[in-house]
Amino acid sequence: MFSSLSRRRVILLVVLSCLLLITLDKRGNPVIDRLRGAFATLVMRPVDTATEAVVLPLERAWNGIVNYDEMKRDRDNLYDQVQHMKGNDVEAQTAILEARELFAITGLAAQLDFQSVVGQVVGESASNFQNTVEINVGSRRGVKVGMPVTDGAGIIGRITKVFPDQSIVLLAWDPSYGVSAQILATPEEVAEEISTRVTTPSGAFEDEVGTTTSTTIDTRPFDPPDPARTTTTTTPASTTTTTTTAPQIIRETGAIEGQGSDQPLIMRFTDSSSAVTTVRVGSLVDTAGGNSSLAPQGIPIGTVTRVVTETGSSNAVVEVTLHANLRRLNFVAVVLYEPNPEAIGR
Amino acid sequence: MPSVLFGPALRILPVGLFALSLQRLFFARHPLHDVKLQFVLAVVVAAGVVGGPDRGAVVGFVFGLLYDLSGTTPLGLVALAYGLGGMSAGYVHSRVPEPQWWLAMIFATIGAVIGELTVPLAEQMVDDGGWITARLLEEIPVVAVTAGLMCPALMPVCRWMVGVKRKKWKVITE
Repeated sequence: MFSSLSRRRVILLVVLSCLLLITLDKRGNPVIDRLRGAFATLVMRPVDTATEAVVLPLERAWNGIVNYDEMKRDRDNLYDQVQHMKGNDVEAQTAILEARELFAITGLAAQLDFQSVVGQVVGESASNFQNTVEINVGSRRGVKVGMPVTDGAGIIGRITKVFPDQSIVLLAWDPSYGVSAQILATPEEVAEEISTRVTTPSGAFEDEVGTTTSTTIDTRPFDPPDPARTTTTTTPASTTTTTTTAPQIIRETGAIEGQGSDQPLIMRFTDSSSAVTTVRVGSLVDTAGGNSSLAPQGIPIGTVTRVVTETGSSNAVVEVTLHANLRRLNFVAVVLYEPNPEAIGR
Repeated sequence: MPSVLFGPALRILPVGLFALSLQRLFFARHPLHDVKLQFVLAVVVAAGVVGGPDRGAVVGFVFGLLYDLSGTTPLGLVALAYGLGGMSAGYVHSRVPEPQWWLAMIFATIGAVIGELTVPLAEQMVDDGGWITARLLEEIPVVAVTAGLMCPALMPVCRWMVGVKRKKWKVITE
């Protein structure tokens, strides 16, 4: 191809061809347009596909050389964003848990006949010999010395010092802590004694009249025991009355005291001839209330975990494990119950 | 027949297509200081250096045509510019009796300057102007220098493509 023509002729031919093609194309030759389309589709596309395989590693190497700093910056920025998102996620999870805790606390406080103030634990005692925590509500919110403090599970202690915006709470497992308490019937007995009776106004069976029946059993163990609770549900078809008979609760009163960190509380009975046979492991314990008590009646304390009968005596000492986890306190509620000053001084 | 099939004419086309594809897929995507390096032009001037002005012009014409067909420039415009670039590189190279590799780089750079400069000039002439700006002062040196730098690596391929052999010098003993 190159040898058949002289050098000048080749160059001249090239230049003239170019000028001819430019002229044709500028005048809008349809053949050239079709040629372009066919070239792009039939020729360049497969070639590009094949070349892509060669170019890809080359491109990565190029990016590694030229854009390394930028990629490193991007990676660092993304890493920061991920870390921030993780932090936000943890914050959100914490907020959810705190909200649940608050609901539990306010739910328990609402069962009592007294107002309560919700606070948060902001500090613990630095000493190994003080079972106290500091909370962020004080006298400005109506908190006074002696008031009982609860969390969502039950009593955790009482206020021992009050400042305008802080208070010190003596935890229930401190040996100097004491409160009058009562033992209720065991959960097993309660379960056995509950009987549900369903009746309809006509006296017919439910299936025959096509009614919808709903039964509500209020199992709150620390409410004042009503002889019977009745829930009425009205449906378009008929009215169904469900009656739940509450258990016969046997009360054994006494005083409960702390024994030190992580130790169960000890309960001693007021009446030395207490029926030891009625107190069983698993029985529920709550505050007894009364004029000389540091807490109103009905605040949950814990569960009986051990019953010890003293040798040669009918007296029994009962170990009670707190419902509340005093190692993991966050939100607490101070029940605005003002105890008898004499009881505080004891 | 076999000499036609396997001759330079059929070798130029696949090399040109591959060079064009590489230009589109890699060099166009990775500009250097906002200047797209012209790999096709680098092959053209390298072909001019190894094959002389006529081969350089033909390779430039074919590669330029492929370039025009794949783009939007008037058909023949880049072919003309690259043909001139290949011819120029081959012409200056042929004026030196025993050129060294670094001289080949310089000649390739000169050919690339002419080839790259001709594109906006030709566009200006066919009324697709607007490309003759001060930016050319930045673009043309970058394109030309990189074409010159790539030249030694492309020369073996271009020798095979245009069908020339490397010159071997013999010592004449008395």
